[in-house]
Amino acid sequence: MIVHTINKVSALGLCNNLIAEDDKVVLLEDGVYLGLRPLPFLVFAIRFDVDARGLGGRLSEHTESIDYSDFVRLCAEADNVCSWF
Amino acid sequence: MRSILFVFSRPPHGSINAQEGLDALLMGSAFTTCSVLFVGDGLMQLVSGQSTDDLGTKNFSLSFRALKDYGVTRIACSKPDLVARGLNKNDFLIEVESLNAAGMQAFIRNHDRVLNF
Amino acid sequence: MNFAIVVHGAPYSSEACLSALKFAKAVLASGHSINRVFFYHDGVHTANSLIAPPQDEAPVSEQWQEFGTGNNIELIACIASCLRRGILDETEAGRYEKSGSNLAPGFTISGLGQLIDASINADRVVTFGV
Repeated sequence: MIVHTINKVSALGLCNNLIAEDDKVVLLEDGVYLGLRPLPFLVFAIRFDVDARGLGGRLSEHTESIDYSDFVRLCAEADNVCSWF
Repeated sequence: MRSILFVFSRPPHGSINAQEGLDALLMGSAFTTCSVLFVGDGLMQLVSGQSTDDLGTKNFSLSFRALKDYGVTRIACSKPDLVARGLNKNDFLIEVESLNAAGMQAFIRNHDRVLNF
Repeated sequence: MNFAIVVHGAPYSSEACLSALKFAKAVLASGHSINRVFFYHDGVHTANSLIAPPQDEAPVSEQWQEFGTGNNIELIACIASCLRRGILDETEAGRYEKSGSNLAPGFTISGLGQLIDASINADRVVTFGV
């Protein structure tokens, strides 16, 4: 299982072919805007970035808000981390 | 020894970042097993016929010819991104495998670490 | 678990520097360890001692200095990236006959080998890009 981090909307185009079914996606920074609509992956969004951008309550129900300790835990549980930007 | 996959997504010359990514790959290949995957506009780094004399920047694309000599194991690119850009492997200055989605997913999984540039 | 953290973005020009710091703090708070933090590309600007942000803006560079020093963590700024961007310690300032040095306390200038070494030896590598 790989954790993919995405920090901007345009970076999704780089990695949507590389995200496997059992992988997880962490949206951070401007990448949290991707969490407004459902994506075909398991998606998490960093709460600090969601709140900073006024997106709390606007995220798709499929996007789970997480804090940095959850982010660390996801990375620790994964086999590898791949960062897209 | 842990293997590293370098993923390059930046086009050349618009910033120094693509060149600095290559520097990291060359350093990496001195330490351990390394491979490289070009995705998105990163594929443009491989385009042949780059000429930077007038621009005044370094034509670092010439260094790609030495990747095998440096011991870089596999050099691959994203087939969907290649097609989307209207390119084919004949546009590149070195021989590159083109991988479909499943191939790229497996390529990442076959390495212990991923460094994105 | 041991983490290596890579930072590509300069303070204020990107959020990478800030996100990486929050991640680094969470790594330690979760009981894990940090191999080193490697600043590359514009990330080396984090190591600029001359940064003087307005009082109501987060002093990210200072926060990194405090984090590194307070937790005994190596903050490495890549020498090639530093030279290109004018981040110099006293040695490099002397070597290149520049008027001054500006490497912030807590940071060390070193080579790409440190990035590769960290990538090989840490259990996870997380990059905060631009």
